[in-house]
Amino acid sequence: MRWITFFCILFCISLFQSTLMNWINIGIAVPDFYFPLVVFYSFFIDVKRNVITSWFTGISKDFFSEGVLGINSIFFVAVGFFIWSIRGMLFRGHLLTKILVTFVFSIVYNIFYALHTAITYRSLNISSTIWMIFICSLYTAAVAPFLFFIFDKLQPTRNLYFMEK
Amino acid sequence: MACVVPVRPFQWATFVCSKTASGFFHRIASVWKENETKTLLENEIAELKNKIIELQDTNYRLQDKLISVSEFKKEQKKPKAKIIPADIIGYDTSIFRRSITINIGTKHGVKNNNIVVTDNALVGLIAAAGRRTSLVQLITDPASRIPGRILQTRDQVIVEGNASPFCQLKYVPRWAELKKGDNVITSNIGSFYLSSFPVGTVVESEIKGGALFQNVKVLPAVNITKIENVLVIKE
Repeated sequence: MRWITFFCILFCISLFQSTLMNWINIGIAVPDFYFPLVVFYSFFIDVKRNVITSWFTGISKDFFSEGVLGINSIFFVAVGFFIWSIRGMLFRGHLLTKILVTFVFSIVYNIFYALHTAITYRSLNISSTIWMIFICSLYTAAVAPFLFFIFDKLQPTRNLYFMEK
Repeated sequence: MACVVPVRPFQWATFVCSKTASGFFHRIASVWKENETKTLLENEIAELKNKIIELQDTNYRLQDKLISVSEFKKEQKKPKAKIIPADIIGYDTSIFRRSITINIGTKHGVKNNNIVVTDNALVGLIAAAGRRTSLVQLITDPASRIPGRILQTRDQVIVEGNASPFCQLKYVPRWAELKKGDNVITSNIGSFYLSSFPVGTVVESEIKGGALFQNVKVLPAVNITKIENVLVIKE
């Protein structure tokens, strides 16, 4: 696996997510570019590396967010591990699988994050939060094919040509 | 000399032809050159036009900053407070948190809990001041709680963020007569915030069953997605 490519992708995603979000949000719908990266690595690499990449993805999201440091890492590692454990049952090459898995698990991740926020700050409105989770997950799933295409082109899960046997 | 006379017409024809051809090629060359010069000039014009746009944008941003600083100074609530203009350089990556990153920090005199405003309206407060950058917790963040007051009814309230573009008011008594369009301002109770800063306007109020307090939705006075710079009030 090319760690350098992974960190470059993560760096680009962090920059994009933290600076240009106001350009591509539609109302309160904001895509999460980190999440498709977690799904991608859960689909294509072994469990040990999957946990490490999910942790790095989560911690970099935490660095650019005001929340508790490490909370996204925990959620991403958990979601990544779960997707990895069920990936045998999925037809991973199909575009629809990628979109559906991203959508469903994005909803699960956002529900857990919303629960954490609601318990900590007691200020979330249930109806608006549910709506926000739904449309943000939908938007994330909608951009997932494009991101998967880029990740496929960059082939971060493969070794460099001189390291391959 | 007489022997060359018959050659003269040919000589003349050759001369005329060569002159015409030379003129023709010269003209082609000059047209070619003119075209090249024209392209160069066009490129230069486009470059200068872009430069003008860039300078206009810089000028606009600086003017904007200057206007907001001078307006704030005109209506300054605490004369001793120092104002530091800052640019927004980043937004929160989480969908449930609302914060921005600005390009000034402790090096410029910013401290934690300094108030951040723009267009004379409250934006939030400094949650974490770094050396060169600071994190601003916006009023729409779920962790934000601001002591406020309804301008028209003088009711004391707490303005709370809920990760949506709106804020909600807490502890608004059931009997408070709020109307759509009522203004919410900061209150200096606790002497944490400066008083009388506009926070937002009431857009919706609802009384549920036997609840003691009303549910009130407030639209913040500042649209965070449209601002480019803010002012940090340093006391």
